Amino acid sequence: PLSLSLCSSPSPMRAPLLAAAGAAMGGTGGPLARTIRAKLTAALQPSHLEVRDDSPRHGGPPGAETHFGVLVVSGLFAGLSPLQRHRLVHEALRAELAGPLHALQVTARTPEQWQSDPRNPPAPPCLGGSKKEKRRG
Amino acid sequence: GGGAEGGGGSGSREAVERLVREHPVVVFMKGSPAQPLCGFSNAVVQILRLHGVEDYRAHDVLQDPDLRQGIKNYSNWPTIPQVYLNGEFVGGCDILLQMHQNGDLVEELKKLGIRSALLDAEKDQEKK
Repeated sequence: PLSLSLCSSPSPMRAPLLAAAGAAMGGTGGPLARTIRAKLTAALQPSHLEVRDDSPRHGGPPGAETHFGVLVVSGLFAGLSPLQRHRLVHEALRAELAGPLHALQVTARTPEQWQSDPRNPPAPPCLGGSKKEKRRG
Repeated sequence: GGGAEGGGGSGSREAVERLVREHPVVVFMKGSPAQPLCGFSNAVVQILRLHGVEDYRAHDVLQDPDLRQGIKNYSNWPTIPQVYLNGEFVGGCDILLQMHQNGDLVEELKKLGIRSALLDAEKDQEKK
């Protein structure tokens, strides 16, 4: 399912829809999207994985690849608190989070939880951030 | 681990420790509760507001790069916002939202002696 945009982008772009479609189909996306997908797959052996590039919705140019949302469904999360699950995801993406990955929304479920609630919440709307920001947040 | 933990600076372990213990509810965010500058930070503010939590400590990391890095070192968490309850790191926006949805936040606030406004809202519902 495509994530719904809860805010209007600063400039009308077709790119967000294409990016979302690409992410939803799981096959395409830029180099960072592919790296995120590969690392999460290797670290967490997910039964289901969605990698969504939210960058266009934060005012970045198409292909900016700075803000991502990931939905990870893995049996490895069983028995772990949300905090522990998110830390596993962060650990897998440690290099990227120290680099170009500016923001990461995480939804982490066990296969049982995913079956009973197969929704991937969209990222909250962008509120502009700091105009002075150049480094990652 | 990397990252500079300068002695005595606003991003030092000691400085951050003081901040997280200042109040039962402490938030490190972008912007302020009156004017959040990031959707994730705004989500935290809105969730707290739903529970009637308006009295808390909020620190705008955009105003202080040393604090911004220091808080990430302290919690070993790479992103902002960060929520601390009773001095303990709880998570970011996603986790707070989850806690809000599954009732955990009401319970955690109760442990801090804070009665969630949602409990009163439910009571009003029952009266009708």
